[in-house]
Amino acid sequence: MTVHHHPPDELLAAFAAGVLDLGQHIAVATHLVGCATCRAAVRAIEHVGGAVLAGLPPSAMSDGALEALERRLDEPVRVADAPARPRARGFTDVPGLPSFLDGYPGSSWKWIAPKVHLRPIRLAEPSATRVFLLKSSPGTKMIDHTHTGFEMTCVLSGSFVHAGGHFGPGDFDFGDGSVDHDVTIDSAEDCICLVAMQGDLKLNGLIGRLLQPLIRM
Amino acid sequence: MQSEIPGDATSDAARWAGLIEAITVRRDREAFAALFRYFAPRIKTFMQRSGASEQSADELAQEALLVVWSKAALFDPASVGAAAWIFTIARNLRIDALRRQKRTPTHDTSEAELEFRLDEGPQPDAGVRASQIEGRVRDALSVLPDEQLRVIELSFFQERAHAEIARTLDIPLGTVKSRLRLAMARLRGLLDDFS
Repeated sequence: MTVHHHPPDELLAAFAAGVLDLGQHIAVATHLVGCATCRAAVRAIEHVGGAVLAGLPPSAMSDGALEALERRLDEPVRVADAPARPRARGFTDVPGLPSFLDGYPGSSWKWIAPKVHLRPIRLAEPSATRVFLLKSSPGTKMIDHTHTGFEMTCVLSGSFVHAGGHFGPGDFDFGDGSVDHDVTIDSAEDCICLVAMQGDLKLNGLIGRLLQPLIRM
Repeated sequence: MQSEIPGDATSDAARWAGLIEAITVRRDREAFAALFRYFAPRIKTFMQRSGASEQSADELAQEALLVVWSKAALFDPASVGAAAWIFTIARNLRIDALRRQKRTPTHDTSEAELEFRLDEGPQPDAGVRASQIEGRVRDALSVLPDEQLRVIELSFFQERAHAEIARTLDIPLGTVKSRLRLAMARLRGLLDDFS
């Protein structure tokens, strides 16, 4: 798998710094599953984080903090390693997703438009970003649309094409309000993507405006 | 802002890695105390700059050092530098703490830690030594112009990172973005041959 489209560097930096909301985090983490280049970039930024942390001016710790901690060192370690979440196995049937999604509650495909199905990923964490899987059949032309917020799309299988290029497995597409999306699925198989989206879709053209009230993504 | 990247970083990095390994090998309390004295006060600053109160920043710094103690055996000096490893611990605790404020926790495991485990898909990671990455990062940071360095430093804090950086430094949002892009491009240029 060769990845051609990567998240912008600022997004990778925000990911490694830990300042993305969970929905955005999932979209970037999905890209990282398939992209060793960006994993290396994230690790490098974590090293920048280490240098930043080590260079911060110290703030005096409360009196006796070290002694209090030293008394706790022999306490049995609370095992925080294994997830206590129910083994929901929510998305194990979809290859290419980050493994922490395995613990999420599953969901099934819902029809949202001709040849397009959607599977929501419900976050335990309140997030301004909605995350879902989108499955489109070969040849589907998505209705011409723009976004009021941003949209991050990571291709899991199949491929699509729009004015910004051709997007196959592992590729990451970052769109904001300025991008007019006229998307066509050009693979012989279904195209499955993970999408993280803020704001709403705005459908363009007469048919789009007629359909707008019917499509709630 | 008076933070700075420490000058003699190479020997510091090796010493910190040695201290963490001493905890793993012989539960060395002296080593723990040394790490505490250096990192706890800085993690406290990190937490306060991220919006935590003085008291909860203190508690989070203590909690971070407890994690260093209990997970020392998971520290792999070949793949990550000591400061970077401690940074990820602090980062993950900060995320978990922010979430605890927003809702009742259903369990007390670290969700952020799970969420930052990077799966290796079809392309395995190139086996790059941490010391190489650390060295490159150090070199890259040392040649960055001061204004890019400050943008990078601040980007590790606020939630609404870019807008706040613009306000703090009193520069337009577009300038923050372009400085960050420049700085990242430079870092990436130095790291390219690792992938």
